[in-house]
Amino acid sequence: MTDQSALQGQTQVVGAAVRLSGEGPLDGAPEGVPDDVSFVPTGPAPQQRRTRRFRSARWVMLGFIAPALVVYLLMVIVPSLQSLQLSFTNWDGISPDYDYVGVRNYEEILTSGRFWNAVRNTLILGLGSAVIVNAISLGVALMLDKVGRWQGLFRTAVYLPSLVSAFILATVWKYLLNYNFGAVNTFLRDAGLPEWARDWLGDSSIVVGVILFITCFTLGGNTTLIYLANLQSVPQELIEAARIDGANSRQVFRHVTWPMLAGAVTVNMTLAMIAGWTIFDQVMVLTSGGPGFVSETMAFFIYKVGFGEYRAGFGSAAAIVLFLVVIVSTVAANAYMRKREIQA
Amino acid sequence: MHDAMTRAGVRARLGRRSPWVAGAAGIAVAALALTGCSGSGSGSDGDAAAQEKTTIRFLYATGDETWNSVVDTVVKAFNEQSDTTTVQLDPLPAGSDYATALKTMDATGNWPAVVDMRDTLTYVNAGKLAPIPDSVTELIQPEAFGTAEDGNVYTVPYSALNGEIGLNVVYNKDYFDDNDLEVPETYDDFLDLLADIKANGDAPLATAAAEVWPSDQLWKPLAAPYFAQYGDEGGFWTAAQNGDASVEDLREPLQELLDITNDYVLEGWQSTADAQTTTLLVNDMAVMATSSAGIGRLNDINKVDPDFNAGLFIIPAEDGTINVLKNAVNGDTAGGLAISAQAAEDDDEYASATEFLEYFYQVDTANLMESEGWLAPNIVASDEIERNTSIPGSKDYFALLENPNLQWYENVSDLSTFSAFNTFFRQARIEMQDGQSSIDDTIAKVQAEFDKTVAAG
Repeated sequence: MTDQSALQGQTQVVGAAVRLSGEGPLDGAPEGVPDDVSFVPTGPAPQQRRTRRFRSARWVMLGFIAPALVVYLLMVIVPSLQSLQLSFTNWDGISPDYDYVGVRNYEEILTSGRFWNAVRNTLILGLGSAVIVNAISLGVALMLDKVGRWQGLFRTAVYLPSLVSAFILATVWKYLLNYNFGAVNTFLRDAGLPEWARDWLGDSSIVVGVILFITCFTLGGNTTLIYLANLQSVPQELIEAARIDGANSRQVFRHVTWPMLAGAVTVNMTLAMIAGWTIFDQVMVLTSGGPGFVSETMAFFIYKVGFGEYRAGFGSAAAIVLFLVVIVSTVAANAYMRKREIQA
Repeated sequence: MHDAMTRAGVRARLGRRSPWVAGAAGIAVAALALTGCSGSGSGSDGDAAAQEKTTIRFLYATGDETWNSVVDTVVKAFNEQSDTTTVQLDPLPAGSDYATALKTMDATGNWPAVVDMRDTLTYVNAGKLAPIPDSVTELIQPEAFGTAEDGNVYTVPYSALNGEIGLNVVYNKDYFDDNDLEVPETYDDFLDLLADIKANGDAPLATAAAEVWPSDQLWKPLAAPYFAQYGDEGGFWTAAQNGDASVEDLREPLQELLDITNDYVLEGWQSTADAQTTTLLVNDMAVMATSSAGIGRLNDINKVDPDFNAGLFIIPAEDGTINVLKNAVNGDTAGGLAISAQAAEDDDEYASATEFLEYFYQVDTANLMESEGWLAPNIVASDEIERNTSIPGSKDYFALLENPNLQWYENVSDLSTFSAFNTFFRQARIEMQDGQSSIDDTIAKVQAEFDKTVAAG
């Protein structure tokens, strides 16, 4: 399969159109003057006019984006840079004064078992949710793509959980999974399976898995829609051609549909991983990082130490580490997936 | 010419805007007319007074139903009688990390005038609280509040100063009567009681750890005899700070905590919220439940099930002593009502906050609190308060205060980030109770964290 943007013919056509509609560098020269003789145009050169027009247009564009840019700088970039500065201090987040402690916060983070446990959970939730959500969403999108009747109803049903905030959804799950009074354990006990009843949110051996399950439940809607949109833009003639060549449904998916979805996979995996790296609401509501520290994620760890334990400097250092993890892992994953897109 | 052109331009601009100006003027006239209509009905004097009222916010932690209703009732009563101030409730939902909310509020510069304070010392040191005026403190018994290093008072109590006597075990009295069980007089009696209930096929004890802090409810009574040994040295943590004690000295109570958790605590405690233990108790899913709300918990139980016959006791030491923490009234662990420094920057807000606190410590207000099932603070006129003994089990509570075996002890730390260490210690204990780490690992980890806290000052 070829990347459509790389069609040579198309590029040439576009290039010719640009040349024909504009003016050449010698278009203002007097008639009869040989091409190799230099001349000085009487008015501003067209190129200069274009440059001037572009410059004034650029200022207008800058004027339009300036308000948003200022807000973004003040609310995101400056605080982020300030976090870097604070990560080298012992600021408690309240007092007006603090001292610089060098890289002590980073040393402590890297030697802290609690932090590495949070990193492990973050990786499990980030990668796990990205893979699971994408796999399920792709399956659901394929089914929705085939549905003939009530497609709107099914699409709505699939997307509906995404409209509920993660906080509310986690609260509902917390009630459902309550050990003593929750609907899940009550059902299991009533169904004669009391040994299956678990302390879903208090059993340290399964709690991260339970959070992963709930997270996947929340994240699926958008991913499904992106896959569905891409599935519906796969050219039917390619599929028909493959079928004429004797390909069965599985082969059509593998050799036609799946490569055409490469871009969607990249986008969905990236978005899901970023959402996974920064999981907070679910942990906050469901377990508060417990029992003990077992279900803390990096985002929750940063919140806990930075706000709850009055160690804003230490929390900032952890936030910088999280930023590096997100950047490195996302860029690496993206690079791998983009390579796959080109191959496709 | 220029002037004329300018005026023409102005006229032209005015001309373009005139429909809008006319519209706005019309709305304004209509609004004035409506105001006049309503004013004629209610009286203009009342409106003027209402406009002059200063509105202040009162931030408090919810979670305890009795405290919620006390705050609601007192604030309503105050607002009805005050001509100058309106207090708005600013409740923080149960389960939230209150310390975090305080910090977020500080970060946004959005301090309410009156705050139900936590981690007081940290905020006093950061200059975030204003001194409580004498007109308030002179209404309270002197032993019920303390001064900070600078000689000012920053928090005043919102309930009776009975230390941690509210940290106790609430039980089903009818079950005890039916099974010939007695309230334990020694720690061994307590263990026998747990074993007897278990032998009956029932769950002896419900406890909670979902919000982390309720894990103290079982731990502190078990550790109290060990902490009390260091009362003369300024408390266990001060002794540990000075190198005269270490976390290793808490091995025995940690082992007791682990054993009780493994053998007698109702399953699911890790994810059980504090308020749920009441539900577990009244639904006969456990015979006893840990609590840190004392008489407030008894009141909650009474509201949920008026027929439930509740009793209350404190886990005694091996020699029968009932050790109860009663820290100094000022310090990192001392909560209470405070006035924010931000509110004090505005004279009206500060005056309103003072007016509210003065009202809070009146006899009538104390009686209002008692009627809601709350133990009113130690005001100077305490003798005039009508105590509420109608709540089942409350007699047990008042009897504890008269118990000859009751022994108060202190265990305060002057480390500015002690509360952060305390949270870590709670989580580490939960980890141990849950079987994720051994006692040895827990002791080593907690000691390392404590050393770090000491080093940070």
